[in-house]
Amino acid sequence: MPLYVLRLSLEHLSFRLPSLLSISQVFGFKIKFVSEDPYRGLLVVEVAKEEDINHILERDTLIQSATELYAQGTSYEELQTELRGKLDVLKPYENSTFKFTLESTNHRVPESRAVEVIETFEFTGLKGKIRLKDPEVEFVIFEDYDWEVASTVDARYERDGKFKYVFFGRRIGFGTARHLTLSHAVKDRAYYGNTAMDALMGFLMAGQALPAPGKLIYDPFVGTGSMLYAVAHWGAYVIGSDIDGRQMRGKMKGKNVRPGILRAAAQYGTEDKFLDCLTYDVTRSPIRRGGWIDAIITDPPYGVRAGAKRLGRKEGKKPQREEPYMFPDGTYSHKRPEYLPPSRPYELANLCLDLILLARYLLVPKGRLVFFLPTVNEDWQEIDIPKVEGMRELKVGEGSVQDFGKWGRRLITMEKTAVDDGLPPTFEDHDEFDLKSGPEYLPGHHGFNKRYASGFSSRHKSQTASPASDRDPSSSEHQAAPPAKNGLEATASLAAALEKTGLAE
Amino acid sequence: MVRLITHNMLACHVKNCTKDNFPLVFSEVELVIRPAPENLEFIQRFLPKLDWTALVDTARSLGDTSLPETMPDQITEDQLKALHHVLMEMHIEEGNMTCRNCGHVYPISNGIPNMLLAEHEVGR
Repeated sequence: MPLYVLRLSLEHLSFRLPSLLSISQVFGFKIKFVSEDPYRGLLVVEVAKEEDINHILERDTLIQSATELYAQGTSYEELQTELRGKLDVLKPYENSTFKFTLESTNHRVPESRAVEVIETFEFTGLKGKIRLKDPEVEFVIFEDYDWEVASTVDARYERDGKFKYVFFGRRIGFGTARHLTLSHAVKDRAYYGNTAMDALMGFLMAGQALPAPGKLIYDPFVGTGSMLYAVAHWGAYVIGSDIDGRQMRGKMKGKNVRPGILRAAAQYGTEDKFLDCLTYDVTRSPIRRGGWIDAIITDPPYGVRAGAKRLGRKEGKKPQREEPYMFPDGTYSHKRPEYLPPSRPYELANLCLDLILLARYLLVPKGRLVFFLPTVNEDWQEIDIPKVEGMRELKVGEGSVQDFGKWGRRLITMEKTAVDDGLPPTFEDHDEFDLKSGPEYLPGHHGFNKRYASGFSSRHKSQTASPASDRDPSSSEHQAAPPAKNGLEATASLAAALEKTGLAE
Repeated sequence: MVRLITHNMLACHVKNCTKDNFPLVFSEVELVIRPAPENLEFIQRFLPKLDWTALVDTARSLGDTSLPETMPDQITEDQLKALHHVLMEMHIEEGNMTCRNCGHVYPISNGIPNMLLAEHEVGR
C-alpha cells in the first residue's frame, strides 16, 4: 500500500493520532502509522488510496500538507539510492510541468543550499518544463530535524544539513481545515460567552464525535453553543440543552429576537442543522426515551469560570419545598414569568459519572461520548474515568491532554458498546463521592472548582489526624484500612486535607 | 425551533407524573414553516425512534394532515418527504406545551421551550 508523509502542526500533540483515527472512522478507511516516533513534524502513514488522504486534508485541523512518499533515508545518499532503484514511480509525471520544493521541520534551510540540493535530483530525468507557479506536479524534499534552540545565524548554519530524516515525494495537497480555526474564531463570532471553547480545540473535539450528515449530536451543557458549531459544520444535526436558558438566548429580549446561538449558527451557514435548543436541567430532563442520539459532545462547566448547577437546594440550607409557594395576593411564585427555581452545585465527580450513564442510555450502539474533564495533574489516575457497563474509553497512549501546569483538561472519548438502551440514570448523588461516608479514594477531578480556587493545595501533604473521624466514629474503620492507591498517605489524612482546602462540607 | 422531531422525544417530567404525560399538547402557537435541506436517509433511520401516533396527532393539531393514521409498513418516498416537512420544517416559535395529565405548562418563547421544573415539582 502507498505511503504518505503528513506534515503536521506540533500543537496539541496528544490530539494528533485520535484526530486522524476518527477521520478514518468517519470515511471508513484504514490508516497505519508507520513512523517510529509518531510525534515529529512529519508523520509517515499508510492508507489504501489518495482519496483517503484527501479526506484527511479536508478534515484535520492539524495537518499542513500531504505528500506521496517515494523515497526516504537518514542521508541524501540513502534516499537517492532508493529512488534510483524505482524511478518508474515518476513515469506518469515525466512530461508534466513541475517544480521542486525543499521544506524542513524545526529548521530553515538557507536558500543557497536548497538550490544545490535540488540540483542533485537531476538524475530523475524529468522532461517537463520547470514552472514555479502552478506546476502540474510539485515534488517535495523534507528535511526533518530534532528540535533545538538555534537563535543566531551562525547556530543556524552550524546545524544546517544535520537532519535526522529526509523524505522525497509528490505533493498531494494542503490542509484546508486549518482556515476553519480562523473563520470560526471566537472573537469574530456573532454570539459567544466567556466560557466559549477556542475554535481549534472545538474542531479537534468535534472530530472525536465522528460528525457527518444525517447524524444527531447533543450537548447537555450547551451554554452559548460553542461545542456545536464545529460538528454542525461537518453536517451533523445538533440539539442543545442547558439549565440556564439565558446562555442560549443572549441578552436581547422580546418577540422575534433570534436566540444568540442561532445568530452564530447563521454566520457559519449551519442554522438549519440546529434542530432545537431547550432549557432544562439534564438531571431532571423531559427526554422520554433512549437510543436515538449518535454522539454527545460537551464541555461541562467545571467551575473555573462557571460552575455546574442542578435543580434543588443546597444541603444544610432551607429544605426543598414540597408544595408551591403562594404569595399573600393569592398568586403562585412559580407562575411568575421571572421565576427561577433554586439550584445547587453539581459536583464534578458526580457529573462525570452521570454523563457516562446518560450516554449509555441516550446513545445508539457505537455512539460516542466526547467531553473535557479537568483534573488536578498531581492527583490524576487511570481509574479516575469511571467504568460503566456498556461504555468503553477510546484512547491513544496516555490519552489527549491539554496541560496547564498544575491542572490539565483531558479529552475523554467513549464508545457505547451496549446494544440496548438500558434504563435512564437516576441522577442521585453517588455514595462513592460523598465525603461523609469517608471515601477511600477520590478522583483527581472531585470538587475541582474548590481546588482550583485554593491553588491546588495538595490533598496528601497533611499529617494531622482526620477531623472527620473525630466527628463521625463510623468512618474510623477507613482510617485503619490500607489506602487504596496512594501509598503511604492514609485515607484519614486525605480527609483532613480535604477539610483544610474547604472541600469537606 | 421546537420542531416536531424534538417534541416527539419530550414528555412531562414533573415529579410523579408518569402516566399519560406524552405527547405534550400545543396551544396558542405561532407556527413558522422554514424549508430545510432534505436528508431522507436520516428520516428513514430515525423512523423507529418516533412515536407515530403522537406525531400524527400533534401534526394534525397544528393543521398538517399529510401523514396517515397508522405507520405504513413500506414507506414511500412521498411519505418520507411529508415526514421531513412535519419533523424538520415546522417550527413552533411561541406558545405553550401542556401536559395532558398534570396540566403543567411549558412555555415556548423565541423558539426555546422552558422545561425547568418548579421547586415543588422536582423529585429527589
